[in-house]
Amino acid sequence: MAVAEPTTSGSKPIFGRTARVKPKVRIRALILHVVTYVLMLLVGITTAGPFVIMLSVSFTQDIRFIIFPVRLIPDPITLENFQTLFSKTMALRWLFNSFYVATVSTLGGVITSTMAGYAFARGDFIGRRVIFILFLGILMMPESALVVPQFVVLSRLGLVNTYTALIGPWFASIFGTFLMRQQYLSIPRDYDSAATIDGANLWQIYWLVLLPQLRPAMATLAVLRFMGNWNAFLYPMIVTSKANLRTLTVGLGTVARSGGDAGLDMAGAVIGFLPTFLIFIFMQKYIIRGISLSGVKA
Amino acid sequence: MEAIWEILTLRQASVRKRFRKRLKGSLPWYPFIFVNIVVFLVFNFAPWLSMIETSLHETDLLSTKKFVGLGNLERMVQDQHLHRAILNTFQFVFMYVPVLVAISLFVAILVNRPLVGMKFFRALYFLPNVTSIAVLSLIFWRFFSPRPEAPINYLLGLLGIPPQKFLVDVNQAMPSIVAISLWEAFGYYMVIWLAGLQGIPSELYDAALVDGAASWKLHRYVTLPLLRPTAAFIIVVSTINALQVFGSIFILTGGGPVYATTTIVYHIYQQAFNFGRIGYASSISIFLFFLVLIITLFQSRYLRFGEEVY
Repeated sequence: MAVAEPTTSGSKPIFGRTARVKPKVRIRALILHVVTYVLMLLVGITTAGPFVIMLSVSFTQDIRFIIFPVRLIPDPITLENFQTLFSKTMALRWLFNSFYVATVSTLGGVITSTMAGYAFARGDFIGRRVIFILFLGILMMPESALVVPQFVVLSRLGLVNTYTALIGPWFASIFGTFLMRQQYLSIPRDYDSAATIDGANLWQIYWLVLLPQLRPAMATLAVLRFMGNWNAFLYPMIVTSKANLRTLTVGLGTVARSGGDAGLDMAGAVIGFLPTFLIFIFMQKYIIRGISLSGVKA
Repeated sequence: MEAIWEILTLRQASVRKRFRKRLKGSLPWYPFIFVNIVVFLVFNFAPWLSMIETSLHETDLLSTKKFVGLGNLERMVQDQHLHRAILNTFQFVFMYVPVLVAISLFVAILVNRPLVGMKFFRALYFLPNVTSIAVLSLIFWRFFSPRPEAPINYLLGLLGIPPQKFLVDVNQAMPSIVAISLWEAFGYYMVIWLAGLQGIPSELYDAALVDGAASWKLHRYVTLPLLRPTAAFIIVVSTINALQVFGSIFILTGGGPVYATTTIVYHIYQQAFNFGRIGYASSISIFLFFLVLIITLFQSRYLRFGEEVY
C-alpha cells in the first residue's frame, strides 16, 4: 500500500482536493470517485429494482407470475388490476381502516405527548419521579413479549375487533413524551414566568405560549408515529380477527401467500407503499431528524 | 412528656401542611398526564399483571382455566419446538447482525462524501425502511419463487447457478429471510452510522493526513475507533430487533418448512392463537422479556468496555 502524498497546507480536508495537488493524487481521487459511483449505483439498483418491478407489474394486464426478463414499461398500460383490487377484494375497506387508525393514533399520540412532556418538564407534582421511571421502564419493554397479554386484557374488556383496540396503545407515546420534554427544557422558563405575570394559567401557557414553539418537534413525532402505525403488523393482526377491521398492512399480509394473480398482488403492494412513500418524499428532513434524535442519543 | 407530645403534633401538623401545599401545587398538573396514565394502565400495566397470572394457568380464554403453577415452565423445558425456535432465533441473530453492521457501515462511508447526487442515493437506500413488511413480503414472495424464471433464480442463472428453492427449502428458508431483512434495514442503520461519522471532527483527518496516513489507514485508525459508541448502539438495537423477528416469517414462510423458520415470537403466536394455549404463550413471553433484558444489559456493558481508551 503506497503512502499518500502529504497534502499541501491550506488545502481542504480529505475529499475536496484542490488543483494544486500533484497529478498522481488527482488521478487516484478520480478513480475513487468512479468506484464510489459504481458501487452506489449497484446498491441503488438493488434497492430500487423491486419497487420499480412492483410498479410495472401492477400496471400490466393478465400477469400471473413475475418472470424475468421483465418488461419495465407494460404494453398496454392498464388500470385493470387496481379496478379488480377495489371492486373484488376488501382492499378499499382496509385502506380506509389504515388511514382512520393511523390518523387518529397520530393526532392522539402527538397531543398527549406534548401535554405529558409539558408536565414532566415544568411541573412539580407528587409521584413525578416514580411515573417518570415507570415510563422509562416501559420504553425498554420488547413489545412482542406483551402482545399476548394485551390480547388477554382486551378480550376481557370486550375490546377485541374494535377500533379502540387498534388505536388505544398509540394514544400515548412514551418516546414522544421524552422527546417533547427535551424540547420544553430547551425553552427558557422566562416565557412561563412572563405569561404567569400576565395572568395565564397552565393550560394557556401550554397552548398559547409553548406549543407554537414546538412545531418542528411535533412534525417529527407525527411523521414517525404515522408511518409506525401504518406499518405495524403484529399487534393489529392479533387484536383483529374480522376481515373488515383489518388494516391494509395486516390484510395484505394475510393474503400474500395465497398465490393469486401477480398483477393484483402488486397493485395491493403499490397501495400499501404509496402513503409512506409520499410522506417520506415530502417529510424526509423530519424523519432523518427523528432517527438521529431517537438513535444517537439513546 | 407533654412538651415532647406537643412538639410531635406540631411537627405532624407542619408535615401535613406542607403535604397539603404540595398537593395543591400538584393537582393542576395531573390532567396533563391523565391520558398517558390511562393508556399505560390499560395497555402496559394490566397486561403485565395478566401475563404473570395467566402464565400460572392453562387457559384458552373461553372454556377452560386450570391452575398449573409452574407447569408451563416444565412444559417449556420439554417443548422441543420451543428449543428449535430459540435456536432458529439465534441463528437469525448471528447471520443478521454482523452482516448488517458491516453493510450499513460500508454504505455509510460510501455516501458520506459531498458528491453530486449523494442525497438522492441516501434517500433511496432508506426507502425500504419506510415501507411496510407486508408490501415487501408481497414483492419478495414473488422474487424468491422457486421457478427458474423468477427474478432471483433468473439472475443466479446468468451466473451459471442452477435454480434454488429458497423459502420452501429447509436449509435456505432462514438465509432468505435474513437477506430480505438485511435489504429492508440497512438504510436505517446507514443513517445512524452517518450521524456518527459526521460527529468526527475533520481536524483529526487533517492531522492523520499530515502524518502521512493512507486512506484505508484513516478509516482504520481514526474512523473506526471513534465510531465505537455508534457501533455499540447499532449492535444492541439490531440484536433486540432481530430477537423479535416476526412479520416477514409470518407472511413468507409461516414458520416452515418443517419449523425451519419458527422463531420465538412466531412460536408464541402459534401457541396462543393456533393452539389456544394462552397460559403457555404468556410463559414464553416472560422468557422472551428476560432474554431481551439480559442481552441488552450484557451487550451495553460489554460493548462499553474499552471506551475509555479513546
